[in-house]
Amino acid sequence: MKTMMRALAVAVTAIAIGGVAYAGPKDKPKQGKSVGEAGYAWNAGGEEEDEALKLKPDVKAGREVYEVCSACHLPEGWGQTDGTFPQLAGQHVKVIVKQLADIRALNRDNPTMYPFALPDQIGGPQAIADVAAYIQTLKMNPEPGVGDGKDLELGKKLYAENCTRCHGESGEGNNDKFYPRIQGQHYNYLLRQYQWIKAGKRRNANPDMIKQIQNFSDRDTMAVLDYVSRMKPPANLIGPKGWQNPDFK
Amino acid sequence: MVTPLRHVLAAAAAVGLFASAQALAADGKQLFADKGCTACHGEDAATPMQEGFPKLAGQNPDYVFAQLKDIKSGARANGQTADTMKPIVEDLSEGDMRALADFLGTLPRPQTVPADLPGKKLYTTKTCVACHGKDSLKPIMKTYPALAGQDKAYIIAQAKDIQSGTRKNGGANAMQPVMHLVSDQELDAIADFLANVK
Repeated sequence: MKTMMRALAVAVTAIAIGGVAYAGPKDKPKQGKSVGEAGYAWNAGGEEEDEALKLKPDVKAGREVYEVCSACHLPEGWGQTDGTFPQLAGQHVKVIVKQLADIRALNRDNPTMYPFALPDQIGGPQAIADVAAYIQTLKMNPEPGVGDGKDLELGKKLYAENCTRCHGESGEGNNDKFYPRIQGQHYNYLLRQYQWIKAGKRRNANPDMIKQIQNFSDRDTMAVLDYVSRMKPPANLIGPKGWQNPDFK
Repeated sequence: MVTPLRHVLAAAAAVGLFASAQALAADGKQLFADKGCTACHGEDAATPMQEGFPKLAGQNPDYVFAQLKDIKSGARANGQTADTMKPIVEDLSEGDMRALADFLGTLPRPQTVPADLPGKKLYTTKTCVACHGKDSLKPIMKTYPALAGQDKAYIIAQAKDIQSGTRKNGGANAMQPVMHLVSDQELDAIADFLANVK
């Protein structure tokens, strides 16, 4: 037995030396469980998310990290009004930290964004903490992408009956509880995430929310999200129309 | 301590395996000539025989390797890959593909000078720059292609095939969700810029 183990060790070493050229990327964060899996707990935390939240953020360093993000989310953090990229400005620190950690641990699928979230692109947990802090300095888009405006009364009613408990009276969310601010988010982005959450396709979703929206019709969905996209964030969080981020001149 | 013979034999066998693997390592340059690649892609892998065929010189080896694998398996079947390329790569081993890809990566890239064409600004505002890199020389991932100096018609065909889902191998799923950001006109301008970055 000992002989075999020695021989195996030598062989494995030889193969390992030969195979090192094909090694994959380092620093891959550990993947957690997904919606639908036994033992899934929304926001179980652990790993990088916890680490990042314990660190003291450096806003100046965060601006450097944000350079990579600005290509798609724009220097202003406004994303695209057609919903391709979400607005990040105004989003809570804990929400940003959690989503970044989840995207790079493959707890949330986003092939387009994945490379940009990786440690070898932006850095470790400190970078996550820093960029989340930097994003707090960005003012929100006064004119996000919105729906067709034809069913807002229904939207308002549905929102009041279904969403305030977590997302707040005005869609402001809750940083402590990791509930995202959704007021003023682009309509088409809200739609895509909402549909994915409802279908179980967004693997880091909150099971309570999945249950809450299961019986929403398409009309309900469009009405409530149109209403949400038009909910105004507090005035002190909103930037002027056409604002350009001076940090990126 | 005297090493038992059986240990020595085991070690020799392992080293022998390793050594023979090295001896069998393929010659990418030779393969590129022998397999007839030069006929369509050009002797220098940078002057294809016809518009719409890709230039391969200086391309990221990890990207080329993935394309060869995917064309052989059928995971990539758009354009001429299924009819023309697949029969050619059918008998390539992974070692062959790796050698070819590595060889192509060593060839001189098209020289790049920032070309002041209308597509240049679009390349940034439409967010292509984020993944494919400044002047499309050094993409963010080694598995993403550099596009600088690539054949214009080829670029347009790939972009359209990725958008429609006709091409869905590899990183196509990362690109597909953003393709709707460009109109046909804008795509033409961007491809024009990329092809002319010399």
